[in-house]
Amino acid sequence: MLDQLLAALTEYGAPALFVVVAVAAIGVPVPVTLLLIVTGSLAAQGAINIWLAIAMAAVGSVAGDQIGFAVGRWGGKKLIAKFKWILGDAERLKNLDAKAKSWGGAGVFFSRWLVTPLGPWINLASGAADYSWFQFTLWDFLGESFGAALYIWLGHVFSDRVQEVGTIFGDLTWAILGVLVTAFLGWKLFFSHRTAGKTGPRVKHSPVRKLAEKS
Amino acid sequence: MVLGFCLAIAATFFFGYRAGRTARHVRWQDEPIQSWMSVPYVAHTHHTSSELLFQAIHVRPNPRDHRPIREIARAEKLPVAELIRDLRKAIENANPPGSEGIPPSGKAP
Repeated sequence: MLDQLLAALTEYGAPALFVVVAVAAIGVPVPVTLLLIVTGSLAAQGAINIWLAIAMAAVGSVAGDQIGFAVGRWGGKKLIAKFKWILGDAERLKNLDAKAKSWGGAGVFFSRWLVTPLGPWINLASGAADYSWFQFTLWDFLGESFGAALYIWLGHVFSDRVQEVGTIFGDLTWAILGVLVTAFLGWKLFFSHRTAGKTGPRVKHSPVRKLAEKS
Repeated sequence: MVLGFCLAIAATFFFGYRAGRTARHVRWQDEPIQSWMSVPYVAHTHHTSSELLFQAIHVRPNPRDHRPIREIARAEKLPVAELIRDLRKAIENANPPGSEGIPPSGKAP
């Protein structure tokens, strides 16, 4: 499938880029970073206008993100209600909503270009958490424009080495995501261990506590 | 959660190592020719002229011809592998190993 997408990009240029990035933003797994870097290389050869390519990539991605946001806004709550037994009670969902709102801007911005695999999920979550549409669109547009400009520029600079550069950035994205997940789970494990240490069975049956109970 | 933590560490190292390995070899490897590439694209990535490559596959030279190699193969009723082989041969003839155009393939000095 990747070969066909790259062939379409080579043959049809910016319109093909618009469609592919929009579809990817909805959640279809497409290596957008590689496509943007190839676009940069095509721009270096004069096959595509670089400014048009950046604009098409940014607008296409924002269009796809809007669909994800709308699905989250109007269908997300029903889905959450359906999976209440996994996600938790109303109080917990309220807390998650508050967290999504407080992290909203940064989460939207960085998931557009740094941790791109999270992008479609952040769109759904922002919609479901009633995050302001204006704020979402603003951060979304800024992030997508920055990401498109960054990767297309990289492709322009390394125009004769796009496949390797694409592979490096694809792997780096997953490595960064790995670091974030590791940090998050490590933090959770650390606090759950500490809480268990304070209230767990070891404390309950400790010799000090037994002595105290006897006296 | 512990399993997820271990998997996340493993994935971080795996992708970090792979990115580093690719970065180390990036200077010395030729961009492999793929069926999605156009002839001007191949010419650009291999530092040779598109006219020469078009001639090698017996297609009228046109720098604005951005058809992928697979499309050209379909139009010329030829296997894609044969076209890629002809392009590779023309590149090798134009830039023999060790010349300035292409570094010796695959190996660091």
